[in-house]
Amino acid sequence: MTIVQPIQIQVAQKIFEAWDKLGVKGRADKLQQALYSFTNEQRKMAAWQIDNAKQSIADTRLMPGPTGERNELSNQGRGVFLCMSLIEGDNARVGLVGQVFAALIAGNPVITVGPTGQEIMDMISPFVAEGVIQNIAESAQDSLIEADHLAGIAVLCDPAQAQQLSQRLAAKSGLICQLIEETDTQHLSVIAKPHYILRFVTERTVSNNTTAIGGNATLLELGSMND
Amino acid sequence: MFKAIEVLQPNFIQRPLNELWQLISPLYNMDEEKWLNELLPLAKPSEEELAIQTDAAATLIAEVRKDDDSMSMIDALLLEYSLDTKEGILLMCLAEALMRVPDKETADAFIKDRLSVADWASHAKNSDSFFVNASTWGLLLTGKIVTMSEKKDGTPANLVNRMVNRVSEPVIRKAMNQAMKIMGHQFVLGRSITEALSRGKSYRDKGYTYSFDMLGEAALTAEDADKYLRSYEQAVESVGKDTYSQKYRPTISIKLSALHPRYQVGCEERVMTELFASVKGLITKARALNVGITIDAEEADRLELSLHLFEKLFRDECTKGWGLFGLVVQAYSKRALPVLVWLAALSKEQGDRIPVRLVKGAYWDSEIKMCQQRGINGYPVYTRKESTDVSYLACAHFLLSEHTRANIFPQFASHNAHTIATISCLAKQLGATTEEFEFQRLHGMGDALYNRLIKDSDICVRIYAPVGSHKDLLPYLVRRLLENGANSSFVHRLIDASYPIAELINHPVTTLESRKSLANSHIALPSALFNDRKNSFGPNIEIESEWTPFKAKIAPFMGQDTQWRAFPIVGGEKVATGQTHSIASPYDHSQTAGQIDWADAATVTKAIDLAEAAFPAWSARPATERADCLDKMADLMEENYAELMALCHREAGKTIQDSIDEVREAVDFCRYYAQQARSHFANPTRYTDFLGQEKQAKLNGRGVFTCISPWNFPLAIFTGQVVAALVVGNTVVAKPAEQTSLIASRAVEMLHQAGVPTDVLHLLPGDGATVGAPLTSDKRIAGLAFTGSTGTAQLINRTLAARGVAPVPIIAETGGQNAMLVDSTSLPEQVVRDAVRSAFASAGQRCSALRVLFVQADIADRVIPMIKGAMAEQSVGLPYLHSTDVGPVIDKKAQKMLLDHIEYMKANAKLIAQTDLPDFAEKGTFVAPTAFEINSIDQLTDEKFGPILHVVRYKARDLDKIIDTINNSGFGLTMGVHSRNETTCARIASRARVGNLYINRDQVGAVVGVQPFGGQGLSGTGPKAGGPHYLQRFAIEQDL
Repeated sequence: MTIVQPIQIQVAQKIFEAWDKLGVKGRADKLQQALYSFTNEQRKMAAWQIDNAKQSIADTRLMPGPTGERNELSNQGRGVFLCMSLIEGDNARVGLVGQVFAALIAGNPVITVGPTGQEIMDMISPFVAEGVIQNIAESAQDSLIEADHLAGIAVLCDPAQAQQLSQRLAAKSGLICQLIEETDTQHLSVIAKPHYILRFVTERTVSNNTTAIGGNATLLELGSMND
Repeated sequence: MFKAIEVLQPNFIQRPLNELWQLISPLYNMDEEKWLNELLPLAKPSEEELAIQTDAAATLIAEVRKDDDSMSMIDALLLEYSLDTKEGILLMCLAEALMRVPDKETADAFIKDRLSVADWASHAKNSDSFFVNASTWGLLLTGKIVTMSEKKDGTPANLVNRMVNRVSEPVIRKAMNQAMKIMGHQFVLGRSITEALSRGKSYRDKGYTYSFDMLGEAALTAEDADKYLRSYEQAVESVGKDTYSQKYRPTISIKLSALHPRYQVGCEERVMTELFASVKGLITKARALNVGITIDAEEADRLELSLHLFEKLFRDECTKGWGLFGLVVQAYSKRALPVLVWLAALSKEQGDRIPVRLVKGAYWDSEIKMCQQRGINGYPVYTRKESTDVSYLACAHFLLSEHTRANIFPQFASHNAHTIATISCLAKQLGATTEEFEFQRLHGMGDALYNRLIKDSDICVRIYAPVGSHKDLLPYLVRRLLENGANSSFVHRLIDASYPIAELINHPVTTLESRKSLANSHIALPSALFNDRKNSFGPNIEIESEWTPFKAKIAPFMGQDTQWRAFPIVGGEKVATGQTHSIASPYDHSQTAGQIDWADAATVTKAIDLAEAAFPAWSARPATERADCLDKMADLMEENYAELMALCHREAGKTIQDSIDEVREAVDFCRYYAQQARSHFANPTRYTDFLGQEKQAKLNGRGVFTCISPWNFPLAIFTGQVVAALVVGNTVVAKPAEQTSLIASRAVEMLHQAGVPTDVLHLLPGDGATVGAPLTSDKRIAGLAFTGSTGTAQLINRTLAARGVAPVPIIAETGGQNAMLVDSTSLPEQVVRDAVRSAFASAGQRCSALRVLFVQADIADRVIPMIKGAMAEQSVGLPYLHSTDVGPVIDKKAQKMLLDHIEYMKANAKLIAQTDLPDFAEKGTFVAPTAFEINSIDQLTDEKFGPILHVVRYKARDLDKIIDTINNSGFGLTMGVHSRNETTCARIASRARVGNLYINRDQVGAVVGVQPFGGQGLSGTGPKAGGPHYLQRFAIEQDL
């Protein structure tokens, strides 16, 4: 299902809300089914990204604060991510799998590139809704990079390529498109770190005045509590 | 602190009135332990007295329980639907909102939302009350129908259920509305004073009398205030004409917040003239008709103002010699006793008796919440219920004392059998006759208690009875009920036959003295709200003892003879570049806040050189040491609070409360990031990598960080960015906004004083071309934090990317096109209050400010005129005055952009309202708060950063389309939601792509570490400032 048109962005955007709403656990249930198709190291990388996400971004955090209001901090996907590797080799493939799984588990729809991307997509797509992961031909890569509404690019590349990409993304109008680059293909020193997943999420705070209709049962209970 | 016991000396109230007044305010947030130790002797009975009081209470309770008709409808309802159960709360939610929902679609959805989640079956037949059982069966039936009609995923379960659903929805709605009317009938004595007098006759036959109140929401508009005034006038006339022959005539209770839209300390002048005139008119009429008037007590912030007004009215000719003008005093207030003392002295001085209703207080939980939110240094109320009871008895002791009785007529309002019995005993003990005091109770509550009392003695019992339309009163009454209705309340226990009498007759002094501490350790003081850091402090500007000394500290910084002189600070040196700029105060351009030299190219280069050189040593310092600097900085800012506030006024045009909030946020940033750094940066983190190997990673600084901050939060955002970068181990070159560099300069001086080395942090004031450009184009810059416009963020991003070095983090917080969605279940008064604050506070110059208000069409014709009315009450003026709501915008450029937009909208949209500007507006850069009605958010192209609100009507069924439209704007910063329907709130929350969503409150004023702040899409890159992931973005994660 290689579509060479930037229409992929639209397809991805349509599925984004539903994919994001599944939550980390819901997405993990689906993505874990895809793991068996990957090579050993790729599978380990993918599984690690899923586990890392479960530990660090899955839970809604209840923030401390005044009585009578509930403040929750949670994570959402940022939007459509282009995941690609400009470097060949097994390690780069492991890194690319890491990027794709990090982007997906965080709640983002992903577009991969070229034959390598196609392989990854083919292994994941049976387990996720249509549009959650798509692939484009390398020839369409540039039009995707230039496209509006691309939330970010996760890329394995050399430092010079990273600079170039950074300039191209910065030249675009609209939102600041995230560039999440890995230039250490040998050690994957960015991708394989616990905080990597945070680059793929956007946080949301929901503040609820729980006493809007009056009454603060929790506080009243505290006021009457024995020592 | 005065000796409380001394009030029992007859000559105490002979002291000068002013001297007694001075005793009141300092007790506002007095140390609870200390003050209760003072009060306890006044409330503590001797052993003999205790025995008598206990026996009397036990006898009263036993007799009440013997009575088959002991429970009133409301008592029974409260017993069955205890307010600590889900069903109890849901029932009250329905009662609070359903009757005001005009459209069937929203009403049905709301009923479904409320009824489908409760277990009504468990309440069936539990109660002996016909009313309660009727309600239960109705709720059970409707609850079941609603529940069975849907699968969990929201689709209809089957055809039959779909049919049931279709057929039954109008029936359910009708039944529920009927149930709410019945409930309204119970809570409200009459829809008009005539009806109330008629319905009250049976109780008057028993010996009761009344105090009627036209209760309702506080007035937000002059029109509402006029409506309430007319209503009170009619009540006075009707009661005046009442011919029922009775020893104790009914009175009228008035709520001052209903009679003036700005009944608050900041508007004291208006209160003392306009509100004074309204109440004087009422008194004049009431006196002519011999109808007593009592002023109700409201929030603690209004107490001193209410006393000022009371005194003026009391001393006026209209009241002199009357003796039926009284007020209410709340025993839960730490200031209650000195207020009573002052009233007694006032009465004595004039020779007119003052009727005083002593209540326990109905705003306890909101008082606690407000203090925690505002960082007040303590609470104005007691934190234990028994402490309030002790205070009540201490006050009663004073009121019933012979020397007080001559001046004050005490009216004891309570539904607590122990309190009533104790006061009766105390009265006997002090020689007070039943002619010298009375009891009061609420309509629908405590019937049995007082039926017994009235049968056994000739004491006057007055029923406080709400009068008005059920739709208007129910929301207010339910909120009051909820605030008092926890199952721990005495009313509940009294009528619960299973609750042992022995536990109901414990004297509050005995209970309190048995506690480990007099203050409640379960309710942390505002300063101790967070377990891991100190909360920032904020003075309460509504309280004389808090604000007067604070204001005096600010005063020296407000004169024109005080000006600040600032320079670039590089390596700790102030660099005079000769490029000197004056900074004029936005509210008066003829006034100068100070002068600042802008940095030149050489200064910028030198700053980066020094910062680069300082990085290795600074990043090698333990994170805990860097964190200590932040804590010290927080303390220094609080020590220099007054100067910083003056700078906020004079340089940024910020109002008093905005300036307090500004300093508090800066302080909170320091303490929060310090705590975060200690937790996450002090030690390496162990983790297992994807190959199963155990590793350790550490978060380290990246190098030289550029921080570019805006003028709208010139201290808070500036400090927040800088200290975040610093505490991680980066060195910093900081460029504040040109308009507000003076306060940034002071912040940098304090940071150096706090221990940040002078070669680590450099201040580079100046414009974008000279300072901003090199700070973003220098190859040594390792990261950048920016807050400002989306366009500037894009420009900076391009400059950074063009440097030909590895990409670096850019943390950008940018603008928003912030919306608020309001459905027809919401309370219009809350909506308008929150919308006006969200749109116009800080002159709309907050990233989070409301720009587009979406109001469900069914209520728009009520809400929009209220917005208009509330805007007419806003005061645009000098920011350092308490009376000012809206100050100036920052400069002429901003003013022109906003005025151009207003002109454009006047030609292309419908003007709702525009607030008047003051005469002196042309001296500064003021923009009148303005609201327009538009058809769609699409009519707006970009953010207008000022006090301009746009209102859009929407149809309930189009809610999802509205959310899509907002999402499609690309901005995603804040959103407000006002709805009583939790399903609607959840639906909006799950669909709206915004960084900060606020439900049933205003949408500005995010608190560090509580409401991490930042947007998505065009509104920012994240992570959120003041959140747990912010610091990580300033760092690099490296394996050890």
